[in-house]
Amino acid sequence: MPSKTGFVFCLTLTLILMAVILLPLLVVVLGSCVNASWLGLSSDLWSGSRHDIFDFSAFSYLFQNYGDWALFSLELALGCVAICLLVAVPAGYALARHPFPGSVLVEELVLLPLSLPGITLSMALLAAYGELRGPLLVLGGHLLYTIPFMLRVVTATLRSFDVGRLESAARSLGASFSQRLFMVILPNLRHAMMVGSLLVFAVSWGEFNVSFLLNRGRPQTFPAVLYDTYTNQSIQISSAATTIFLAIVIPAVIAIQWLGGREAADLEQGA
Amino acid sequence: MPTPDHIIASQPASRGAKRLQLAPLALCAPLLLLLLALLVWPLAHLLQQSLLLSEAPASGLTLHNFREIVLVPRYRDALLWSLELSLAVAAGSTLICLAPAWLFTRYSFPGKRLMRGILTLPMTFAGMIVGFLMIILLGRAGFIPQLLERLTGQPLLSGAGYRFPGLILAYLYFEIPRATLTLESALAKLDARLEQAARSLGANHRQVFFWVVLPVIRPALISTFAVTFSVSLGSFGVLLVLSLRHFSLLPLEIFTQYLAPPTDQGLASAMSLALLVVAFGTGYGLRRLARRMEGARA
Repeated sequence: MPSKTGFVFCLTLTLILMAVILLPLLVVVLGSCVNASWLGLSSDLWSGSRHDIFDFSAFSYLFQNYGDWALFSLELALGCVAICLLVAVPAGYALARHPFPGSVLVEELVLLPLSLPGITLSMALLAAYGELRGPLLVLGGHLLYTIPFMLRVVTATLRSFDVGRLESAARSLGASFSQRLFMVILPNLRHAMMVGSLLVFAVSWGEFNVSFLLNRGRPQTFPAVLYDTYTNQSIQISSAATTIFLAIVIPAVIAIQWLGGREAADLEQGA
Repeated sequence: MPTPDHIIASQPASRGAKRLQLAPLALCAPLLLLLLALLVWPLAHLLQQSLLLSEAPASGLTLHNFREIVLVPRYRDALLWSLELSLAVAAGSTLICLAPAWLFTRYSFPGKRLMRGILTLPMTFAGMIVGFLMIILLGRAGFIPQLLERLTGQPLLSGAGYRFPGLILAYLYFEIPRATLTLESALAKLDARLEQAARSLGANHRQVFFWVVLPVIRPALISTFAVTFSVSLGSFGVLLVLSLRHFSLLPLEIFTQYLAPPTDQGLASAMSLALLVVAFGTGYGLRRLARRMEGARA
């Protein structure tokens, strides 16, 4: 029987950690739209001269000035999802179901970027393709960090149940390859592809280290909006930008948790 | 000399075997091409660039850029600060997150899923966001200093977020999810009956923890340390926002070296590779050590 004092100790520490995580998020979300003096915060750094309780001017300012940046980031994230599905799902199937000499090495190579510093990889991409600096190179950088997630989810799913037997059963019943693909393999991978897509989307949306160096001019990715507001704007506008960021990433993380706790552990190494 | 019969007999089998080999390779081909183009080729370029002098690329390969990192105090300090900070953060987060990981694997209670969800939230936050959160919380106009000033009348903790402890707190913030999840998956594999056996033999909680649990989870602690260390070492977003004076980290030096002219491409490349070697080397070495310990136990 696990001990009660142990439970109380662990619970207390966990609650403290939760408070540390939630408190600044709460202050940021409230600070983005509630008048600072109503929050007990008295500083001109916090907000403008308005006196209403709620003040959404920061959001309209952001939409006017950075709307295209947010759109670019969303397009980029969706592009990553599409390419990851096209490239990593077939490869994942091959690696998990028909391993060939060197396939272990391929898998390690795919996962390698996750344990390499983002700045090193962006410097490497710039060294090789410096003249391509721009949206295309940003996409390349994002792919390096998103493909591993899709591949891991797909291979983990294919290894966790016996697709082989299902497939050969289908074949013995006379199913052609395309029939097996669309009626046996893909339906069984639907869940993994959904979790993988969400992971890829969330990672791409939150990526900053690679995007900032690899991009040039406008539009930048959304985390660059954050950098821009943090360094040049009032705390209220910065808070509003952070709130928009959170409004996209938190639902994605919740959906990942909800769809599959096990696959969510795959996030553990992402930077 | 093989007769025609042999050839005919052996052909279908060998062709079938060949097709089995080629099909998976074909499925992997796009992925392999992407990896070659985006990872292998660029890293080779980076290595080449780091071995050339920026002022005189034609003068041949040299280790000058790498020597510079160790000899110029500014870069050496940045490297040392990076190592120190990452060590402190990795050790701290591994120890602290034992509590939630233990809680989630050993007890079931209402609200567990929600708590787990909250602890994993900062996973996809870029370091920069965490830097901003620290300003919100502990900066000069931060929430906590203002609250304390209201309560006590004195400006306590004002600007604490801009000092070294604030930096450690910020790094811990985004390592909590990684450390918790890595430890959790390791603790889930641990057999609770071991603890029960020790308990039934009369060991108290502390003895069980130090003599039974700790030795068994040592590999998990090491691999958690490895993950958090590598991630901390490469992160610079927090510092980019907090911009502490008289203090820098190696990745930030690379960043500014590249963006602020006059840029020294060779030096920036050498620093990037040094960072890669330390981050990857430590992570890889520690993970191998953890795996060997696990193997020795089994």
